[in-house]
Amino acid sequence: MMRELRWSWLIARKDLSLEFRAGGRLLSMIAFVVLAGFLFGFALDKSQVPGRAVVASLTWLTVLFASTAGAGRIFDMEEEDGAFRHVLLTPVSRRAVFIGKTVANLTLTWLITALSFVALTSFLGVRTWGSLAAHAAIFLPGTIGLSATATFFGRMSRHSNLGDSLLPVLTFPLLAPVMFFGATASARVFMALPWDEISGLARLLWAFAIGSVAVGAVLFHHVTDE
Amino acid sequence: MTLEGRRIVCDYGPVRALAGIDLHAAGGEIVAIVGPNGAGKTTLLRVLSGERRPDRGEVTLNGSRVSGSDAAWRARIGLVSHRTGLYEKLTAMENLRFFAALHGLARSGRKLTATLDAVGARGLAGRRIEALSRGQRQRVALARSLLHDPEFLFLDEPFSGLDPEGAAGLERALVARRNDGVAVVLVTHDLRRGLRLADRVVVLRRGRKVLDGEAAEDEAAEILDHFTAGAPDP
Repeated sequence: MMRELRWSWLIARKDLSLEFRAGGRLLSMIAFVVLAGFLFGFALDKSQVPGRAVVASLTWLTVLFASTAGAGRIFDMEEEDGAFRHVLLTPVSRRAVFIGKTVANLTLTWLITALSFVALTSFLGVRTWGSLAAHAAIFLPGTIGLSATATFFGRMSRHSNLGDSLLPVLTFPLLAPVMFFGATASARVFMALPWDEISGLARLLWAFAIGSVAVGAVLFHHVTDE
Repeated sequence: MTLEGRRIVCDYGPVRALAGIDLHAAGGEIVAIVGPNGAGKTTLLRVLSGERRPDRGEVTLNGSRVSGSDAAWRARIGLVSHRTGLYEKLTAMENLRFFAALHGLARSGRKLTATLDAVGARGLAGRRIEALSRGQRQRVALARSLLHDPEFLFLDEPFSGLDPEGAAGLERALVARRNDGVAVVLVTHDLRRGLRLADRVVVLRRGRKVLDGEAAEDEAAEILDHFTAGAPDP
């Protein structure tokens, strides 16, 4: 168990080092999030639809698009000069590779989530956020499920001739529940509803998160080994 | 210690890449697999290393079946290919440290530096891979493949892109490993180099083994004939 955790940590740390050293890719993701918030701010007629009514949905959608693109990139870095082949030829378990890559993807997703939250609330003119702790309690399981699913299918799409275009086709239908539960729960937090009216959705998000990590860890070797 | 492939068959859709190949490699010998493009050399190497499961046939080590899904088997092999498999944004030392850790080796910086020195990559430890020449990268890749003292070393066109000095250094490293008892399986389309370096040469043509023998000078002409015989490959 400790060995698996160590492998996962090594892979996550390496992925994040590569991502931060590549620089430009992270910057483009940040630019995407800020620009998305900026454009949503213009596209919405705030005299008819208050920003507070849609900010939760738009934040979740922005996180979904940015993190799905990020999951594909994590495997692009591996394929640069065939490095992933050599990782798979070490004794490292496929389960540990999956967990490590999910952790790296999750870290970037958290960065995107925080940025999306700030950008969208600013551009949509939302002044009351509700409890930040409650927002975190919703985004935490939601982003875990999202990252695990995107990591699994990110690898699968690299195996396919369709590449990047396949990833949203595979992930978006599966992530529909996360979007529904997450956006609904976040909207309720923005409306400062009591936690009793939100906790059921949080539990569903945790169930999805645990399920997607478990299924991904068990099945990942099918998308790595020939 | 003998690695043996028996009646290996591999298909890529309707194309038969390997058609019932038998091949063995023992510790302390260099086996060169040569043949023209499309002969099935790389596929055979991938099967022997366990990266690809054969459609028929089996790979055994001293009679016991081995496969790439077996972590203990993966711990015993090293691979060098024409793609170096190194992370460009990491330094040579960071690459070695990462792969050593995946092998469960707590190698100190001094030991890793010594590994680099042994393959003629002295002074490259602190440089990012993206700043290295093709030959320098290949040396770091060789160091990576030797980190865990593998018993079997698989090389897929390792000389491609190397300058004469780099190629000579790689040859010396392979001979040294062979002398240490490592089984070296080398895929190359460079027949002359294969003949010079190997103890045994296996010639493939269109997925079939057309020759398997000791690489003595007097057999070179015969091997060359097999290599170039028949109609051109598709």
